[in-house]
Formats: sequence, structure tokens, C-alpha cells
Amino acid sequence: MAVKIRLKRMGQKKAPFYRIVVSDSRTPRDGRFIEEIGTYDPTQNPSAFNVNEEAAKKWLANGAQPTDTVGKIFKNAGIL
Amino acid sequence: MRQQKTPIELQDELSKQFNCPELDEIVWLSILYDFYGELLNSHKKQIFEDYILNDLSLSEIAAELNISRQGVYDIVKRCSQELKDFESKLNLVHKFQSVKVKLGLIKTIITDTEQTGDVTHIAKIRVLADDILKEL
Repeated sequence: MAVKIRLKRMGQKKAPFYRIVVSDSRTPRDGRFIEEIGTYDPTQNPSAFNVNEEAAKKWLANGAQPTDTVGKIFKNAGIL
Repeated sequence: MRQQKTPIELQDELSKQFNCPELDEIVWLSILYDFYGELLNSHKKQIFEDYILNDLSLSEIAAELNISRQGVYDIVKRCSQELKDFESKLNLVHKFQSVKVKLGLIKTIITDTEQTGDVTHIAKIRVLADDILKEL
């Protein structure tokens, strides 16, 4: 099963907040996800990242593909 | 008094935060979408939402909608440009952020005044309130 790690925009209007989620790439639009492995809060200064490193490494080792944006967050967090 | 930053400095910080490229481009576009998204038509809205808010790839969206990847890319590009044009004409996001920063400052001044009983900073609240009124 192809699995992707994406950002998912949550939060209210005008106050963005993101979750980093693992989801099945075959049903991209249904909004379901397998596991939440972190958050990203751009409203704080500096932006607050929070990544569950263990879970992220586990999913990456199992072949989950991070999107470009999540890749950047992982790089910032020192995981990639 | 705790507050060391002037509204201008805080505003600069905010705009720096949103002007820095890569990730912040996406955050910035999603904020623009919060403000002006309803002005896009529903087809464009769906694609823009998938790309910017749900972080799907261009090819995933293309496959889902049975259009070309290039087509999706063009729509996302065009939407981004439209939203940025709205902002440069209407400035609603800028106003919103600057009012938000100033209200935050007013709140800190009030808390400080409550804690210390020192009323000398109340005049600053008037200045800030006047600024906000001017901007509206």
C-alpha cells in the first residue's frame, strides 16, 4: 500500500494550524488518515514544529513518501 | 512594563514570517484563501483547496479529476495570482494582521495596568485605538 505523509490544514479561518498526517495515497481526497505524527503552527514566532520523531522514522523506513512541504519540515526538525 | 516591541516592529516580524519563502508561501496562500477564497469559482476552489490546504500533489489532483497535470498547475498558479491581486487591491489581510497586533498590545497594557496599578500607560491605549480606527 502506498502511503504518504502530508500536511493537513486545520484551525479556524485566518488562524492556520497544520497536522502532519500519514495517509493512504490511493484515496487522497476522502480526508481520512492513518496516524497523526506531528503538528506545525505558523502563527507562533518562530513557527512551532512538533514531530513525533520515532513515528516519523518508522513510517519513512516503511517506505512512506513525505510531500515536499512535509520534507521541508522534517529537514528543519533534523529527521531527514 | 513587559512590552518592549512597538507595533511597527511586531508588524515587521509578522510580515517577515509570512514573506519567507518555501513553507510560508503555502501558509500565506492559505491565509489569502481564507479571506478571498469565496471569490474563486467552485472548480478552482476545489483544486486550490486540495493543493494548498490538503497538500495533495499536482498529479494526484490531475488523476482524481481526469485532467492533465499541467492543467492543474495552471489553475493553481492562476488562483494564487488572483488571490494576491485581491490582496494588493483590498489589503484586508494586512489590515487584519495589524489590527490583531495592536489589540494584542492593548491587552498586554491592560494586564500590566491591572497588575501594577500604574495608570500612566493608559494613554498608549488611546493612541493604539486611534490607530486602529484610522485603519478601518
